[in-house]
Amino acid sequence: MNAENALALEAYSFWFKPQGGQPEGPAALEELSFAIGAGSFVLILGRSGSGKSTLALNLVGIYPDYFGGRNQGRMLIADPERGLINRRELEAAERFKRVNMLFQNPEDQIVTLTVEEEVGFALENYLFEPPEIHRRIDRALELVGLNGFRTRETIALSGGEKQRVALAAMLALEPSVLILDEPTSNLDPAGTADVLATIDHVREQLGVTVMVIEHEVDEVFDRVDTVLLVEDRHVHGPYSPREFLSERGLMVRDDMGLWIPQAAEVGLELRAAGIELDGGVPLNGAELTAAVGALGLDLRSSGRSEELSANSDVAAGEPAIEVRDVSFAYGEHPVLKGLNFTARRNELLAIVGQNGSGKSTLASLFNGIATPDSGAVLVDGMPTSEYEFAHLAKRVAYIFQVPEKQFVCNTVYDEIAHGLRALGMSEADVDTRTVEFLETVRLLDRRDASPYVLSHGQKRRLSVAAMVVGQPEVVVLDEPTFGQDFHQARNLMELLRGLADDGAAVVFITHDMRLVAEYADRAAVLCNGEIVFNGTPGELFAAGDVLERSRLKAPSVYEFSRDLLGAPVMTTQELSQRILEAADGQRRTVV
Amino acid sequence: MANVELSFKQGDSLFHRMTPFSKLLLVLSVSFVAIFNTNLYVGIGLFLFCLFFSLFLTGVPFRQYWALGKIIVPFVMILAIVFPFFYGGQATVGSDAIALRTPIKDLSWGALGFGALLGLRFLALALAGLSFAFTTHPTDLVQNLARRGWDYRLVHAPVLGLILFPSFLKLGRELSITQRIRDLGQNTNWLKRKWIRVTHLAFSMLVLGLRNGQTQAMALDIRGYGAYKTRTFMREVPKHRAGEIFAWVFFVLSIIYLIYQFNPATMQWNIAS
Repeated sequence: MNAENALALEAYSFWFKPQGGQPEGPAALEELSFAIGAGSFVLILGRSGSGKSTLALNLVGIYPDYFGGRNQGRMLIADPERGLINRRELEAAERFKRVNMLFQNPEDQIVTLTVEEEVGFALENYLFEPPEIHRRIDRALELVGLNGFRTRETIALSGGEKQRVALAAMLALEPSVLILDEPTSNLDPAGTADVLATIDHVREQLGVTVMVIEHEVDEVFDRVDTVLLVEDRHVHGPYSPREFLSERGLMVRDDMGLWIPQAAEVGLELRAAGIELDGGVPLNGAELTAAVGALGLDLRSSGRSEELSANSDVAAGEPAIEVRDVSFAYGEHPVLKGLNFTARRNELLAIVGQNGSGKSTLASLFNGIATPDSGAVLVDGMPTSEYEFAHLAKRVAYIFQVPEKQFVCNTVYDEIAHGLRALGMSEADVDTRTVEFLETVRLLDRRDASPYVLSHGQKRRLSVAAMVVGQPEVVVLDEPTFGQDFHQARNLMELLRGLADDGAAVVFITHDMRLVAEYADRAAVLCNGEIVFNGTPGELFAAGDVLERSRLKAPSVYEFSRDLLGAPVMTTQELSQRILEAADGQRRTVV
Repeated sequence: MANVELSFKQGDSLFHRMTPFSKLLLVLSVSFVAIFNTNLYVGIGLFLFCLFFSLFLTGVPFRQYWALGKIIVPFVMILAIVFPFFYGGQATVGSDAIALRTPIKDLSWGALGFGALLGLRFLALALAGLSFAFTTHPTDLVQNLARRGWDYRLVHAPVLGLILFPSFLKLGRELSITQRIRDLGQNTNWLKRKWIRVTHLAFSMLVLGLRNGQTQAMALDIRGYGAYKTRTFMREVPKHRAGEIFAWVFFVLSIIYLIYQFNPATMQWNIAS
C-alpha cells in the first residue's frame, strides 16, 4: 500500500445487519485486500447479486455507517496532508466528501427543482459559502458540458442530461474517488457516449479516481486501466484490462455470464482455436483490425457478404399489428406523428430510437393502455378501440422494463397460474401447464417463493413467463435485457425467438444495438415521433444518416467486421468463423 | 414544471416579492378566518379578497387557477347544494324564512346561506393555497423558514415531496395498468375485485416505494443532508418589508375578528351542545 493510492482495503470484511432477531449471516464481503492508484479508472465487474453494489456502498461509507451492519479490517483513504488514513478517523460527513457515488438511476438522486440547486445542494449542506458554491457550480457544469443549463428545471431534462447533472453534483464536492453505478444503463447510445466522454474529460481535468460498475462494457473496457472482479463475496484483482481478458475473458463470459467487449470475444475465440493475435487480447475494434490484419489472411475474397443479417432467413407471417396514420400527444406535446408500420407474426421486430423518442408510448398503444388521438392500431385487423380491454390484454402481452411492476400474486406459482386461470382452464390443467412453464424458465424450485425475493434475472424470466403463458399473439417488451447478464439475455432472447417461431409477433423496445444485430428480424427507428427507418438491422446499420439523426450507433462488431471483411457481419461468432475459415484456407493452400 | 400541478411560476408580482414566511402567515390567516367564520358576509368578503389578490397581485393568469379550480368547483357545488339539507341552525347565515321548497325538505335562507358559506370557504382556501404555491419557490420557503430557526431537514421535506410525488403517482399508474392488463381479481364480483386491487396496489406501492425511498435516503446522506444542524444557501431570499407588514396586519386583524365572532352556540359543529 503506497502513498500514491487513492483507496486501499486491508483484510476488510462486512456483514449485513441481521433482520428481525435472526442470527448474523455469513460475511457479504470477505477479507478484501486491494489498493487503487490515485487517478485510476477502475471497472468493477461481477454477476447480478455478486456484491458489486455492496462493495461500492462500503467504499462510500453508507454501509455500515447509515444502514447498519458490521465491518472488520481497514479501509484507507488518501488524505491530501496525511497520506493514506483509516476512514474511521474522518467524520461521517467528511467521508462522503472524499468518496462519493452516483447511482444507476439519476431520478433517484435528484432532489431539487433546478440544475443549479441540484449541483449546489451538497455544497449548501456542507456549509460552503455562497461565492464558493457559485464558483463550484460553474466549474462542475463546465466539466460535464452543461454550461447553459444553470436555471433549467431538472424535471425537463433528458435522461443523459439528468445523469450529467447528477455527476456534476458529485463533482462539485471535488471528491478524490468517484464511484459510478451503471451510469449509462438507462441511456441511448449517444447519451452513453456523452456520459463516457464527460467522465474522460473529468478525469483529465481533475485527476479524480473513478470506479465504475457497468454491464455494457464495449465502450468502457479500453478506457479503464484497472479491473476488479467481484465473485462470491471476494474481490479478485486489480488486473489490467488486457490481463483480465487474457486470464479470465471467456471464463467470465461462459461461466459467469458477464459481457466482455466484442473485439475481445473475437480475439479470445481465435485464441481458443489456436490463432494467437499480436499484442494479446484486443480491447477494441481498432486493435482487433490491426492484429487480424497482421495475420495476412485473405478475408475480403471469402465472398459471403450477402449474408448480412443473422436473421434474414426468417419468413415473416401475416400482420398481427398494423399501425395506420397514428398520432398521439400528451396534452399539447405531440409524441407520435402519423405513424404507419406493421408487426408480423413469426418475426422479432425491434423498435429503437433515442431517449424520449416515443417508443414506450407507441408500445402502449398496442394493447390499448393508450388510444391514438388519430389513426388506428389494428390487432388482427380490428382496431384496439373495439376490443374489450381484458380481451385485448390476453392477445397482446405487454411486459414492462421493471419486472416488479408486473407482479400481482404472492408466489411464483400463482404468478404463472394467474394467466391460465384467466383463460378459464380447469385447475388440473392449470397445474400441469404451470409446472411445465416453471420448468421451462428454470423457476420450479422457487415455486413457493415471493416474486419480490427473486434475483433480477429470475424476476425478468418470471415476468415474461407470466405474460406469455396464455400464448398471446403479440408480445411487446420494454428493454427486455435491461440489467441482464450475457446468459440471461441470451436465454430470454431464445425464448422470444421460440415464441415468434410458434407464430407470435414479438416487438421489443431497446437501446441495445448488439441485441438488435443478433436477434431482430426487422428494426423500426423512431425519431421525434416519426418512423424514420423500417428495415433489416443490416440496412439500418448501413444507413449512417438515420443513425446520426436518431442518435444511434451500430454495434462495434459491425464496424470492425466491415473494416476487416469489406462487408460487415452482425455477430462475433460469424466474424470469428470467417477468420478461422480464411486461416484454414490459407493453411491448406500452403500445404 | 411540466408535470407538477402545484408548481412555482416565475414572476415579479407583489406576491412573488413577499417572503415565503409572510405569505405563509397570510395564507394561514385566511385559512383560519375561512374555517371558523360563521358570517356569510365576511365569507363573501374573504372570497372576494382572495380572488382579488389571486388575479391582480400574483401575476399568474386565471387559466392557471382554473386548471385546478375546475377540479375543485364540482366539490364546492356539492357542498353548497347538499349541505343546506343538513342545516340545523349551526350558523347565523340567514333568517328562518323559507326560501326554497323542494320535495325533500323546505330550505330556509339560513340553510342556503350555510351551503353558500361552506362553498365560499373552500374557494377562499383554494385561492389562497394556489396563490402561495404559484408564487413561492420551494427552495426559498426552505431557506426562509430555516433562517427563522426551523430545522431545514423538516422544511425541505415538502420540496422532496413535490419532486417525488410525480414519480410516486407514475408508479401507481403503472401498477394500475398492470392490474388491468393481468385482469387482477378476475372471476370475482365487483366489490371483491376492487378490494383485491386496492390491497395489491397498497402492498406493491409500499414495497416499491420503500425501495425507492431507501435509495433516495442514501442519495441524500451521500450529499451531506443532515450532516450539520444548519446549512448555507447559495442565494439569499430578499426581505420585503411592506409584504411582511401587510401579512402581520392581516394576521392580527383575523385574530381579532375570530375572537370577536367566537360563539360556541353558533359554530357549525355546535360545540356548545
